Amino acid sequence: MEVIVQLKDKLEKPDTQFPSNDLRIGVYVCHCGKNIGGTVRCEEVAEYAGHLPGVALAVDSLYACSEPGQEQIKADIREHKLNRVVVASCTPRLHEPTFRAACESAGLNPYLLEMANIREHCSWVHLHDKDHATAKAKDLVGMAVSRAANLMPQFELTVPIIRKAMVVGGGVAGIQASLDMADSGYKVYLVERTGSIGGRMAQIDKTFPTMDCSICILAPKMSEVGRHPNIDLLTLSEVKEVQGHIGNFRVKILKKARHVSKECSACGECIQACPQLAPDEFNAGLSIRRAIYIPFAQAVPSRFLIDMNRCLNNQGIVACDRCFQACTRKCIDFAEQDELLNIEVGTIVVATGVDVYDPTALTELGYGKFPNVITTLEFERLISAGGPSGGELIRPSDRKRPAKVAFLQCIGSRSKRSNPYCSNVCCMNTIKDALLIKEHWPDTEIYVFYLDIRAFGKGFEDLFQRARREGVTFVRGIPGEIIEDINTGDLTLLGENTLLGSHYRHSMDMVILSVGIKPRKDSGTLQRLLNLSADTDGFYMEAHPKLRPVDTTTGGVFLAGAAEGPKDIKDSVTQASAAASRANILMSKGEVKVPAITARIDSGKCTACGLCARVCPYHAIEGNKDQGYFRVIEAACQGCGACVPECRFGAIDQAHFTEEQIVGQIDKALEENAREKIIAFACNWCSYAGADFAGVSRIQYPHNVRIIRTMCSARVSPRWIERAFLKGVGGVLVSGCHPSDCHYNNANQNTARRIEKFWRRMDKLEINKDRLRLAWVSASEGAQFARVIQEMEEGLKKLTRKKILDAVDKLKKTQCKKSEAS
Amino acid sequence: MQKERGIMTGFKIWKHFKREELYECYQCARCTGSCPAMEVAPAFGPRETILKCLGVGYDEVVEDERIWLCCTCNVCEDRCPQKIPISELLVALRNSAARRGNIPGRLSMAIELLAKTGRSMIVHQLDEMRFHHGLDPLPPAQIDEIRQILKKTGLGEVIEF
Repeated sequence: MEVIVQLKDKLEKPDTQFPSNDLRIGVYVCHCGKNIGGTVRCEEVAEYAGHLPGVALAVDSLYACSEPGQEQIKADIREHKLNRVVVASCTPRLHEPTFRAACESAGLNPYLLEMANIREHCSWVHLHDKDHATAKAKDLVGMAVSRAANLMPQFELTVPIIRKAMVVGGGVAGIQASLDMADSGYKVYLVERTGSIGGRMAQIDKTFPTMDCSICILAPKMSEVGRHPNIDLLTLSEVKEVQGHIGNFRVKILKKARHVSKECSACGECIQACPQLAPDEFNAGLSIRRAIYIPFAQAVPSRFLIDMNRCLNNQGIVACDRCFQACTRKCIDFAEQDELLNIEVGTIVVATGVDVYDPTALTELGYGKFPNVITTLEFERLISAGGPSGGELIRPSDRKRPAKVAFLQCIGSRSKRSNPYCSNVCCMNTIKDALLIKEHWPDTEIYVFYLDIRAFGKGFEDLFQRARREGVTFVRGIPGEIIEDINTGDLTLLGENTLLGSHYRHSMDMVILSVGIKPRKDSGTLQRLLNLSADTDGFYMEAHPKLRPVDTTTGGVFLAGAAEGPKDIKDSVTQASAAASRANILMSKGEVKVPAITARIDSGKCTACGLCARVCPYHAIEGNKDQGYFRVIEAACQGCGACVPECRFGAIDQAHFTEEQIVGQIDKALEENAREKIIAFACNWCSYAGADFAGVSRIQYPHNVRIIRTMCSARVSPRWIERAFLKGVGGVLVSGCHPSDCHYNNANQNTARRIEKFWRRMDKLEINKDRLRLAWVSASEGAQFARVIQEMEEGLKKLTRKKILDAVDKLKKTQCKKSEAS
Repeated sequence: MQKERGIMTGFKIWKHFKREELYECYQCARCTGSCPAMEVAPAFGPRETILKCLGVGYDEVVEDERIWLCCTCNVCEDRCPQKIPISELLVALRNSAARRGNIPGRLSMAIELLAKTGRSMIVHQLDEMRFHHGLDPLPPAQIDEIRQILKKTGLGEVIEF
């Protein structure tokens, strides 16, 4: 690991300027207009905060994040000599950077700011319960003040960024992102799984709403990628391993053998010679290709390849060399081996695209059974001049031109039986297809059976209008069933025209199912490699749906195209350029500050047992027995804190998430009515965000939960849980990302292990195990978070005072031996 | 009769069927397109039933004799993209209709026959035919047992027999 680490001008040192006995905390309670103020009595909360120890100033503010709001904080820091700031407002995931910047500009170390989340975690989830919401807000502010009292100034490390990028996926989004970054002067590795770049757009005949020829506008971009000096195009390649972090990713790529060398001129002599046939994937299986083939005419790189699953030669045994004989330039090499490439990049753009929904499961439509029922992707190939029929519209059963064609909308979309979301592109795609047929064969009767037509984009409504004017019939009501006449291959559609309230029975020559799009079936692989999150539909999740739409929760990794959600070409290209520009910002700056939340080992207390090094997911702890202690490599440490609870001697602590700070929060939260409360530890990336999402969705849940944020659930120490129970808490929830979704390389397996151990201890002591709960909640599962709290609340109702005191006694007797927590 | 109906309307189908389940219907009409009843009664189907239940209230729906055309074949439910339990809704609606006395004449006659003779059809001619073909007459049905079953299932509360 040769990351040069530059410590900021000042090294970490105790806060000599502001000794802790002279705490001057400023508290700002934000109304957020009516968002908080409509539920929580903010003046009352500020009044309460004013009496907390160490608080020098407590006021309420209409909009703390506004310019005047920030100016007030800055002025107060100078005027009242504040040395800590607590802002009670929205989630720190939104405005922590804002207020940190405000503090910094007033000369206060940004790490001396603490936020209390009284919007997403309070006012929005207890909308109609003003008294309890206000009481909870007081608690949250109290917890924040007690943590603020223990905050220390921190100084961020600066890490250099490698000025190279990797783009995964060579569809139109990947192409655009690669070109944008390469044109900015950065080296780009474009990794494509198939034999050519181009992706879905290359398969489509025309684009909506302008009816441009798809491949005609894409091909120039593809060849630009092929010849760009800054782009290293890796086809037939897959990402196998990703190590490192923002600015310094080490990637292993498996480049499969093409068996055809660069000298290939794509003359095609070999095709005639090859005896082996296979369905052509590019033509959606409507035609056949040979074992040696070129994906399509405009393919980049313009080279043939051999499909070794079809070729007669395998594993070094040459049974057939006809193509080799036919090749005049002798560029065929059966012995070529797969290669494992190691590259180092600073940024990654994920543009892996989508799969098409397979309607075989919807048996009533007869896809796969009736030859004349096809999908829209098959239709695109059928009507494309480069397709199997040379652009002639024919139906598969008898290769005659259909006179009556039906399109069925929302197949595989907006349904609990398939994909619940709207696939975004199918409506306009169908309208475009209908117009294409009308353009070439105006006498064709076209029926579109729809549910809703969503023509929301620029120029979309015009196109819809044009289709109606040209005589395309739109029928509201999806057919329930398709019946085939086995003699003629004609199809009868049974259904109801809901606008007329009458049944129909339409006889059609051909039916085209307007199928939806869905995440790649192996999207989970890259998700794990890059520590991405996925939403409930399986698409990769952005860091913020509105304000960081192309960032991911993994620093340095960006999203482009339909991998993030169903998108048309224009949106994919827009997003790709956005992703490239986000990556360019990092690369042109050349360095990035990493949050000062690393673990630190006290070499005096360390006994060099090495347990911490074993749990570190980043191998960031090194040392040995001979040395007498272990140390943290700060540039490699990602700040999950998984090592801290592992230390039996209290030698490790995590900066900005210290034992002292969190224990202070626990104690403050449980000062009053502890038995009615639930302490919830939530990891920053999934569960805390999930609780935020519950707030954003206004999902109401019981008010007695107090959420404490850690970076990873693995930071949650059994000592904290014990502490909470000793204080007589009703229940403790530990929540983190789903296993394998962990933001920190599966650090959360430590969480599960530690909780199970604690359960065993509770079992032994005959304490009700339900009082400690472990829940995996992802950032999109706000409802799940609310459900867990609801269930725990039900459990609390059965809990008696005696049981709690019993448990306290039993735990006291067997208390964890040593920790700063006690 | 009027008074009796008043008592009967106290039966609320939303107690037996979750109204929220219907909110998810987006009127795609796949159900009606699949319904075998449309062969005999055009312009009727589950889509319209659901829409009316939400829009004008189920009181009006139970007055409509066409709900008795449903043969609970479940095809609509199997094809419903929103997984709405349509068959359950129709059963609940017909229970409600029956309690209000809205049973089609043919059907109440069949029930009466069942209660009186143990069979839902008149079988005198059948016996003659059987005799003609040299078969023994039909064995008598277990009327008492059938009546008990009908009472236990609660049919007695709805129809007199």
